[in-house]
Amino acid sequence: MKQTKFEKLNRKLLTFILIVLCSSMASYSQNIISGTVTDESGTPLLGVNVIESNTQNGAITDFDGKFNINLNKNPSELIFTYMGFKDKKQSVSGTSTLQVVLQEDFAQLNEVVVVGYGTAKRSDLTGAITSVSSKDFDEQPLNDVSQALQGRAAGVQVTQSSGEPGGVYKIRIRGANSITGNNDPLYVVDGQFVDISTVNVNDIASMEVLKDASSTAIYGTRGANGVILITTKRGRAGKTKVEIDLFTGISNLTQKLDLMSPVEFAEGVNYSEGQDPNDPTNPFYTTSELDYLRINGGEDWQERLFQTGYSTNAQITVSGGSDAMDYYISGNIYEASGTVVDQKFKKLNLRSNLNAKLSEKFKIGLNFNVGQKESTGVQADLGSGISWDPTTPAFDENGNYNFNSIKNVASGETNPLVSVQNNSRNNTTDQLSINGYLNFDITKNLVFNTSLGLNKSERHFNSYAPLISSANGRANVDNYYSTKLYFTNRFTYTLDINENNNLKIDAIQELVKEESNTTQIDANDFFTDLVTYKDLSIAGVQLASNSETNRELESFLGRINYSLFNKYLLTASIRADGTSVFQKDKWGYFPSASIAWKVYEEDFIKNIESINNLKVRLSYGQVGNQGIGVYGTRSRAVIDELINYPFNGSLTTGVAPSNRVANPDLTWETTDQFDVGVDFGMLNSALTLSVDYYKKITSNLLLDTQLPSFVGPTRQYVNSGEVENKGFEITLGARFLQNDNWNIESILSVSRNRNKVLSLNDGVTSLEVGAAIVPNLPVNPTRVEVGLPISTLRGYVFEGVYQLDEAAEGTPGTAKYKDISGPDGIPDGLITTDDITNVGDGNADVTWGWNWDVSYKNWNLNFLLIGSEGNDIYNFQRARLMALGAQQFNAVHADYLNRWTPENPSNIPSSNDGTEMLSSQFIEDGSFISMKSIALGYNVDSDFLERIGVTKLRLYGSVENLFIITDYTGFDPESTASNAKDDADVGIDYGSYPISRSFIIGLNIAF
Amino acid sequence: MKYLNKIFLITLMVFICHSCSDLEEDTSSLLTLDKLATEGDITASLAPLYRETLELFKVPHFLRAATYGGDDITTWSAGNKAPLRTFDRFDYGSGENADNAWLANAWDSYWKIIYYSNTLVEGLKTSTAPENSIGVANGEARLFRAFSYLNLVRTQGNVPVILGEDKPTGKEQRATVLENYQHIEADLLIAEELLPAPGSESAGRVTSSFAKAVLADLYLTWGGWPVKDASKIPLAASKAKEIIDTQYHTLLPIDELWLLSGENSTESIFSVRVADDQSVVNNYPSAFSFHQARGFSDCFPELQFFYDFPEGPRKEATFLLDIPNRKVPGGVITPKDPPTTPWQESDRQHPMYQKFVAAEDLTFSNRPVSFRSIELYRYAEVLLIYAEAQARVGENASSVEALNQVIRRAAGLPYLTPNTDVDVTTATVDEIIAEKGWELAGEYKRWFDLVRTEKVEEIAALRDPSEPVELIRQPTKAQYIVPIPINSILLSELVQNPEGFKIQ
Repeated sequence: MKQTKFEKLNRKLLTFILIVLCSSMASYSQNIISGTVTDESGTPLLGVNVIESNTQNGAITDFDGKFNINLNKNPSELIFTYMGFKDKKQSVSGTSTLQVVLQEDFAQLNEVVVVGYGTAKRSDLTGAITSVSSKDFDEQPLNDVSQALQGRAAGVQVTQSSGEPGGVYKIRIRGANSITGNNDPLYVVDGQFVDISTVNVNDIASMEVLKDASSTAIYGTRGANGVILITTKRGRAGKTKVEIDLFTGISNLTQKLDLMSPVEFAEGVNYSEGQDPNDPTNPFYTTSELDYLRINGGEDWQERLFQTGYSTNAQITVSGGSDAMDYYISGNIYEASGTVVDQKFKKLNLRSNLNAKLSEKFKIGLNFNVGQKESTGVQADLGSGISWDPTTPAFDENGNYNFNSIKNVASGETNPLVSVQNNSRNNTTDQLSINGYLNFDITKNLVFNTSLGLNKSERHFNSYAPLISSANGRANVDNYYSTKLYFTNRFTYTLDINENNNLKIDAIQELVKEESNTTQIDANDFFTDLVTYKDLSIAGVQLASNSETNRELESFLGRINYSLFNKYLLTASIRADGTSVFQKDKWGYFPSASIAWKVYEEDFIKNIESINNLKVRLSYGQVGNQGIGVYGTRSRAVIDELINYPFNGSLTTGVAPSNRVANPDLTWETTDQFDVGVDFGMLNSALTLSVDYYKKITSNLLLDTQLPSFVGPTRQYVNSGEVENKGFEITLGARFLQNDNWNIESILSVSRNRNKVLSLNDGVTSLEVGAAIVPNLPVNPTRVEVGLPISTLRGYVFEGVYQLDEAAEGTPGTAKYKDISGPDGIPDGLITTDDITNVGDGNADVTWGWNWDVSYKNWNLNFLLIGSEGNDIYNFQRARLMALGAQQFNAVHADYLNRWTPENPSNIPSSNDGTEMLSSQFIEDGSFISMKSIALGYNVDSDFLERIGVTKLRLYGSVENLFIITDYTGFDPESTASNAKDDADVGIDYGSYPISRSFIIGLNIAF
Repeated sequence: MKYLNKIFLITLMVFICHSCSDLEEDTSSLLTLDKLATEGDITASLAPLYRETLELFKVPHFLRAATYGGDDITTWSAGNKAPLRTFDRFDYGSGENADNAWLANAWDSYWKIIYYSNTLVEGLKTSTAPENSIGVANGEARLFRAFSYLNLVRTQGNVPVILGEDKPTGKEQRATVLENYQHIEADLLIAEELLPAPGSESAGRVTSSFAKAVLADLYLTWGGWPVKDASKIPLAASKAKEIIDTQYHTLLPIDELWLLSGENSTESIFSVRVADDQSVVNNYPSAFSFHQARGFSDCFPELQFFYDFPEGPRKEATFLLDIPNRKVPGGVITPKDPPTTPWQESDRQHPMYQKFVAAEDLTFSNRPVSFRSIELYRYAEVLLIYAEAQARVGENASSVEALNQVIRRAAGLPYLTPNTDVDVTTATVDEIIAEKGWELAGEYKRWFDLVRTEKVEEIAALRDPSEPVELIRQPTKAQYIVPIPINSILLSELVQNPEGFKIQ
């Protein structure tokens, strides 16, 4: 029904367009004006827009800053606009040659920024939008888009959750709304929804982070987690410009763990096994064996499993254009190896952005990006690797592997080098995105824009474990193909009713179709290692499975921007989204409204010379989240190799009932967000301040709930519960010094977000939803509880060790926990699961980033400090190293040296009987301050360069993670085992890939 | 130009019209077996029941975790066996250790089998498959359901009655032990009627013998702790006797029983099978071997149980005294020099269970595995159930003969030929229970016998003082049932033991 209504609307609009078209004619006269545009220092400016006032007539300056324009009227007025400079109006009459000087604009209020489905002048924004432009990060050698955002945008929390080459980053904008749904922001690159992992960060011109509902509601059900709009670079009219960027670096672990020496470990084994080294039948370590270890040592597994990583990056960019056409073509190769043996990463990227002006009315463009990511080699399992037996050398005297621990101590696993050095893996992802648009200025006031995008992704994950590491050879082949098609049609109608009343209306229709299919083959029982995963037909057992899914999203959007006296601004929008994944309630409606007051346009402020910007913003809106997979509402029969049974010897295929209860009534989860903000600038924006306060309430949560195993199906999606996020963001910018020699600038951004669960499904006060990160933990280390943040860390309260004089209460040497409760809700003198309580919070209270840019003559120093305050980390890695958990036999952590004995009445339990992994003993403060990056660059004198035909040459050196100040005892407080997609279990450290300290040198050259 | 624009706009209209969607989810790739229209549909629905039973029984220490209080098994006193030691040292009973890491494995698996059975029993009500297939499948589903409930009830006590007739809510309550026994009995009485007699079943499927064996086991349990309904004891005897009277089942020579060739024999009342293509392995050899033999030292006999075990061929077939020394250069299991260590000097300083490693395959993986079927009930157990139940109500010649058949076979003699050297003329109930303990050592039976006969305290008191796993307390009735795993408590309204334990 809705579709037809909108179709009618479309038809009416088109008729109107046709009528208007026929009536637009104009007459021309010949009045040519020419001139040169320079900055204040006299340098010619390339690409300045020169427009005749109140017309569409315009020109662009060339390489020498020169332009020619044919005036429609004479006399007339010319407007000069150039990114980063203040607009200038100049009256012209007759035929003359102009000399125009543009003044640099630090406030950049007239800068055009990209917003959802359109653009706007910065000064006209009514929503909370943070911009990060390439000039903020181009002094740093980066290889990932997320790095560019880290610490540079208030309200955006970027965490490098893994140090593996190619990196894994978790980005949250104003906290996590959804408990079990996806909280990743939406990425829109040049108007197209894409996966950013293959977008080359060096191609980015600017990023706009849309944070409040008035900016994101236009994205409806996809906007709840915030939107990151990325605009890639485009060519500028003028001479072809070639740029080359090269950098290379090495990286190392920031910190090793404190483990016992081999002999200390061996003594610990004797202790826990109750063996006397003087007893010659001791099956563990006798005195002579201990002496041998004391002299010869054993193995340092950290030394074996960590290495120096390297990285290289090369990029070539060619750009240029004319009045009618511009092009930007870039190619990038990035290669890196990690600090954990033995994984390599390679990324290739090719981008081509073309824009053409076909006539005064038609503009078209085609953006094309193809990327490949390849990850090869097998990464050592740090969880088991560093906890492996230090008394067994990696290799025996003949150079062969010591396959297992000689005395079967530490853990039962195989020598961690065996799989690393013998298994093979090749994970390749190819991504192609093509996006074309056509812009049609139907009349002076009405613009039609249509764009069509295709995003194809292919993933091939292959691995093979040979006979030596898997006993009988095991291969996995996993292919995934997805196609996403986007089709967007937009009409923009602008009406400048008079000087004081401006109106802009957008009407948009959009369709998104997604299709994916997977094929997976698991094969084992190979008689030879020759062909690995490349020919599975030789495997004795082959199990194939495949799946096919598709989903559709159809949307209709409308937006009005109204400006009164250029002081009072109003934006209102509504989006209707319909999806195929819900069975009954397919459509959701997401309205928003915002107002802003440009106080600085008021006379009483205009008189204060020093204040150049003061704006107050207020917004409210609703955004959705369809955080549910295809078929999520249904219960699907299970087909799996684990339900087939060999009745007569060969396997009969089984079909089991679903582990999910169907819920055909599911619908959208909705986030209501309120935002109030102030933007302030003074002394030509030498000092800027932007403050926002927000409150979001997500209701009707799409909860993937768990049912107890005894009822049968254990999962069900329900619409229930509410989560609140509130907080504030401060961005403080300062330009301390600016003269011929010096330029010192600094931006501090501070974010605070408090997350709280307001309610869950009826009567339920807590949910167990986190992923199983640590194997064999019967209780989730995190829980969702009403009144607390989404991810609250759970455990017993550790109170040390029972001492000799406490033998009546517990066996001396065993762990002592706090008796908090019992079956009747009061302490019962027993330590039971009733005594598990909240022992920490993985969410930070405050995160901040402080970026400095200092230039002196040709030198430039740019550094970024980031910090996180008030978050706890559950250090399960240390728990395992203390011999806890189902995989570990003996302790290897140096803390075990101080274990309780009658002679050493410490508070470190000496036995793992009755010692809990889930306890406050392993909760640590994860707060940190890190020198995330620091780069020192030198620009070679342009006088010298000109002689060799080079326009720019910059040499630089840079360090990432130079230091991390923290009390955390793990590798580092930033990388965690928590899945980057998951918010129900943040702050868990177990076998995570540590981040590294990298030293990089590089050069940029342009000609 | 004007016309061009018009053409352009018309083309656009075409585009826009094509950009609308009906927003229906494509469900053509979704499989449903709601109708169970054919025999193939039914077999496909039965496979998960059998497979989940196999998944549970092929990992012996997970299955046995809650039964380590029995004197036939103990575990490594150090290393990663803290979850098993919890039960071996009786560190539970007042709600403690409901969060034991390995307690939930068997609980979850049994409930999965019940869920699969419930779905099938319900689905069969509207099935259009041949009547005979429906009947047999109905019997099978009810039998697996009853078997799972019986093991849950004797491990955790009374549990909720979930028979698949209502939509799950998580608000279900625990029934009483007696109520649980009653629905288990009801299912089994239907199953024994519907299932084929032994020898006439399709390959690998259950028979009426299995239904009768579980029924006999239920009645014996019903007659003991905690319900102690003596009227059920004669029923146990008669059900066991019905199996004996089929004349189908036999006892294998003791030295052949645990070999690969001894699988799926007529001694087996029911066993779960592993696949010919070796895609599924039986993990008994690795769980029951020490680390020096490339195992995981999960499970081995307690010293006192070993000392008390009567000498003879059965003791040799049950225990391994020379513990293999193995290494794995290049991932291949290879003997070390010397190839064995006397058990007293081995890394766990105990004997190993030979019966569970006799069929081991050392070439398949870098750990010992086996491809032998896993026994759930053996004919020897049926004979001993009969002997015990009949002894309780009045020993007779056939019940003494049943006991003697087991004793003769244990001595390596032809079991059907009376032999005055070993035959007993009478036996007390306690003697029969001891014999059952030895015959079924390590087979997930002993603990349940000790609980129903209330011998846990008595047997624990005999524990060898040099046993390295030290008891945290002497057990009482509080240790007869273990806690319900924490996740099922957190996600439901069930009341934890001991408060939630209700007998009738």
